[in-house]
Amino acid sequence: MIRSRLVNICLAAITAVVFIILYGPIFVPIVSSFFVVKWGNVQWDQTTLAAYVALAHNDGILEAVKNTILVGISAVILSIVIGTLLAFHYQSGRSRGRDIIQFIVFLPFLMPPIITGLSLLIYFREIDFERSLVTVIIGHTVFVLALVYRTILVRLQALSRSMVEASYDLGASGWQTFRHVLLPHLASAMIGAAVLSFALSFDETMITILVTGTDSTLPIRLWAMMRLGFTPDINALVAIILALTTALCLIAARHLMPREAGARSA
Amino acid sequence: MSEAAGNRRVAGLAIESAAPRAWRASLAVIAYGLPIAFILLPLLAFLAYSFFSVSGVTMSYTPTLMNYQRFFTDPVFLPVFWRTCLLCLEVAVLAVGFGYPVAFFLAGLEGRKKYTLLLLLMVPLLMSYVIKIYAIRSILGGNGFLNRALLALGIIDQPLTIFVYNLNAVLLTLTALLIPFAVLPIFLSLERIPRNLLEASADLGASNLQSFRRVVLPLSLPGTATAATFVFVLAIGDFLTPQMVGGLSGFTFGRIIYSQFGTAFNWPFGAALSVILAAVVILAIAAGTRLGGRQRGAS
Amino acid sequence: MTDDRILLELRSVSKSFGPTAVLEGIELAVRDGEFITILGPSGSGKTTILRMIGGFTQPSGGQILLEGRDITGLPINRRPFNTVFQDYALFPHMTVAGNVGYGLMVRGRPRREIAKKVSEALDLVALGPLADRYPAQLSGGQRQRVALARAIICEPRLILLDEPLAALDVELRKQMQLFLKDIQREIRTTFLFVTHDQEEAIAIADRICVMNFGRILQLGTPHEVYYRPRSEFVARFFGDNNLIEGKLGAGDGMHRRIDTPIGSLLCAVDGQSEIAAAPAGSRAFAVFRPESIRPQLVSADGFAENKAEGRVTAVTFAGATTVAEIALTGNPGPVPARLRLASRVGGAAVTPGEVLSLAWPVDECRLVLA
Repeated sequence: MIRSRLVNICLAAITAVVFIILYGPIFVPIVSSFFVVKWGNVQWDQTTLAAYVALAHNDGILEAVKNTILVGISAVILSIVIGTLLAFHYQSGRSRGRDIIQFIVFLPFLMPPIITGLSLLIYFREIDFERSLVTVIIGHTVFVLALVYRTILVRLQALSRSMVEASYDLGASGWQTFRHVLLPHLASAMIGAAVLSFALSFDETMITILVTGTDSTLPIRLWAMMRLGFTPDINALVAIILALTTALCLIAARHLMPREAGARSA
Repeated sequence: MSEAAGNRRVAGLAIESAAPRAWRASLAVIAYGLPIAFILLPLLAFLAYSFFSVSGVTMSYTPTLMNYQRFFTDPVFLPVFWRTCLLCLEVAVLAVGFGYPVAFFLAGLEGRKKYTLLLLLMVPLLMSYVIKIYAIRSILGGNGFLNRALLALGIIDQPLTIFVYNLNAVLLTLTALLIPFAVLPIFLSLERIPRNLLEASADLGASNLQSFRRVVLPLSLPGTATAATFVFVLAIGDFLTPQMVGGLSGFTFGRIIYSQFGTAFNWPFGAALSVILAAVVILAIAAGTRLGGRQRGAS
Repeated sequence: MTDDRILLELRSVSKSFGPTAVLEGIELAVRDGEFITILGPSGSGKTTILRMIGGFTQPSGGQILLEGRDITGLPINRRPFNTVFQDYALFPHMTVAGNVGYGLMVRGRPRREIAKKVSEALDLVALGPLADRYPAQLSGGQRQRVALARAIICEPRLILLDEPLAALDVELRKQMQLFLKDIQREIRTTFLFVTHDQEEAIAIADRICVMNFGRILQLGTPHEVYYRPRSEFVARFFGDNNLIEGKLGAGDGMHRRIDTPIGSLLCAVDGQSEIAAAPAGSRAFAVFRPESIRPQLVSADGFAENKAEGRVTAVTFAGATTVAEIALTGNPGPVPARLRLASRVGGAAVTPGEVLSLAWPVDECRLVLA
C-alpha cells in the first residue's frame, strides 16, 4: 500500500512530536552535564567536565552505584541458575504442577511491582527477616526470573530432539550432552537474558523502595535526593548510566536476535 | 507423538542421566524453592494480611472483613479508586492515540530504518526512572521549557500552573513515560500482517483508506488491545510518579496504598487495598486478552 | 556378502502408545553384514522399530537381542549402534571435524587419534577439504555425508538410517543410494535403512522387510518381494502390479488354477505352501507384472502361458517404457490391466482402440489370498 505524501508527512510529524516528548526529559539532564550550572541555571556558554569530576568524588553516590551493581549481578546469577533449572524441569514432562509453578514464576512480572514489593515486605516482617541488600536481591530476582526463565525455555524448546538423541547415540553421557550440546545452544539466550535483566534491575525503583533496608541502591538514593534537588554531578551520572544501559541492551539484542545464516546457526 | 511432546521427553532424558537421584532432589528443591518461598508464600501472606486488622500499633490476627468494608463504605476511598481507574484509562487511550500513528509510520518504513527508529524509541526507557520524572516535572513547571515555549510563542502571557502538582501532571507524566510501551505491541501486530493481504485488497479495487479501515485496522486490533492493557496495568501500579508530580490534589489509589505502609501505618488495610488493585489488574488483563484474542491475526 | 550369523533379533516385539497399538508381534532377525531395508508407508511403524533398536523408545513387550544378549533395557549411549537421523542432527556450533569426532571425543580418546580417524572417515565420504566448515555452510548432500561419517567412525555393530535421503532431490538421491551401497560393502558394517520409497528399497537392499499397520508382511530379497509378493498389500505396494480377483481352483503343489472374470488362469505357487494348501473356492488375486505381458504374435510357442484379449484404452509414454491401459474382455464386464513395453522411436508400439491378444508366462503369474 503506497501511502499518499500527505499521510506520510502527518505520520512523520506525529512521530517527531513523540520523539520530542520522549527525548525531552532525557536531553535536559544529559546535555546540561557538559555545561556549568550556576544557581540552578545552565550557563550555555561555558562547557566543562566539572560535573563528571564531582561525580568521581561523590562517595555517597558511588557507594549506591556499587550496591546497585552488586544487587544486579546477584539477581542475574540467581535467576539464570533457577531459570535454567525450571526450564529443564518444565520441558521434561507434562503435569499440572509444572504449569502451576510456571504461573507462579510469571506473577511478579505481570503484577504491578507494588504488589510484589508489598507482599515481600509483609512476608519478611512475618518471618522476622531483616530488610537489607539481601531482601533487595530477592526482590529483584523474583522480578526478573520470569523473563530469564521464559527466554531460556523458548530457546530450549527450539532445540530439535534429534540433536540430543544424536549425542546419546554417539555415546555421550547426560552430563556430556549437557556440556557439549545443550549449553552451547542455550548460551546466547542466557547471555542476552542476563544482560537485559541486569539493565532492568539497575533502574528498578518500586520494589526496591519497599524492601530495602539501610543500604541504598542508586534509585533509592536518587529518590531521597529528589526533594532537595539534584546537584550537577547527578546529570553526569545519568549520562553515563544511559550510555552504559544502552550499550548493554544492544549487546542483549544481538544475543537474543534470531540467528542469521552463518557459522553459528543450525 | 507430536514434536513438542517428543522434545519434552528427550529433555527429560538429559536430566535423568545428567543428575543421579540424590542430585536431582536437591536441584528440584532449589528450582522450586525460590518461587514457592519468595513468590507464593509472600502472596499468600499478603492475602492473609488483608483479613487482619490493626488498632493503634498492635496487630490483631483474627480474620475480619473490616478492611474491605471500610474500602466500600468510607466516603474517601471509593471515589479515589474510580478516579484512578479513569485516569489510567485516559493514559492508556492517550498513549495508544500517540502510539498507533508512530507504530504505523514505523511499520511503513523500508529496511533497517524501522528497527533503528524502534530501538531509538525504546532508549528513553533505559533512562533513570526518578530522574526522568524529575525532568518532566521541571519541563512542565512554572519555569520549565513548556511554559517558556508557550510564552515565547505568545500563546499565553502568564506561566500556567495547571500542569504541576495535580492529576493533570500525573496524566501527562505517565503518558510521556508509557508511550514506548504502547508502540511496541502495535508495531509487532502491524508487522505481522502479510503484505499480500494489502496487495489483494488493492487488487480488488479498495482505496488506501478502505484498505486501512477494512484490513489493517481490524488485524491490528489485537495488538492495540494488548498495548492499551499494558499501559493501563503499568499506569495503575505506579505509585511513585503520582507521589512526585501529584502534589496534594493528585492523590491516586497507589499513593493511598503506599501511605498505609508509611505514615498511616495500617498494613492490613493497605494489603486489602492492594488486593483490590490486583483484582482490577487481573480484570484488565482478562479483558485485554479477550479483546486481543478475538481476531487470531492474519492467517 | 552377508554371512548367516544373526546379529540382531527382535522377538515378539510390540509397542503401544496408550491405547494405540503401533507395533504387534514383530519377529525380525538381522544378519551380520547385510544391508536390510524396512519399507512401509507412513504410520506403518517402521520408524518405531528403528527407534526401539536404537534405544530411543522402549518396547511395550518382547525382547531385543544382540548376538543372543538381551539389550532391551540398555540405554541409548551404551548400545553399540549409531544412527543417521532424518534431519541429520548435526551440531551447529561444531565444525564438520568436530561433529565427526564427537563420538570419539566423549569416549575420551586422545586428540591425535581422533584427528587421524576423523581424517580417514572424511576421506571415506569424500569430504576431506571441508573439515573446518560449519554445517550451515554445507549443502544437503554434504550434511548427509557428514552425518554418515559421524556414525561410521565409532565402528558400531549396526548403523541405523532413518529415511536419510528423504530431503534430497531425485538426482542426488540416486547418487547417494549407490554411494551408501558402496560404503556399506567397503566397511562391511550392517546397515538398517528405513524408507517409504519402494524404488529406493529395491535398488539398495540385500533384504527388504515390508511393513504395514504395525506388522511385518514379508521379508525377502528385492526379487522376492517384487516378483513373489505374499499378500495383496505387498503386491500393490511395488509399482503397478496387475491384480485380478477370482476364486481358487485345483492345484498340484507347484501350480494352481484360479477362476477369474477373464477366464481360468494358471499360476505358480512354488514356495508358497499356504496358498497351495488353501481350500478351493477361497478368494484370491492373480498377480502379474505389466512387463510380463506380451502382445501375442504367434499363437503357441512352447512356454506355458495365460492368454487374454483386450482393447487398449490409453497409452502413456513414460520415457524408456510405454504403458498401455487395457480393458480385458471378461465376464460379466471388462477387467482393467496394464501392459508395459519398451518404447520405440518410430512410433507408439500400441495405439488406443487397438484390440490385442495378450499372453504372459505362468511362472510369472503368482497368487495372493484376498
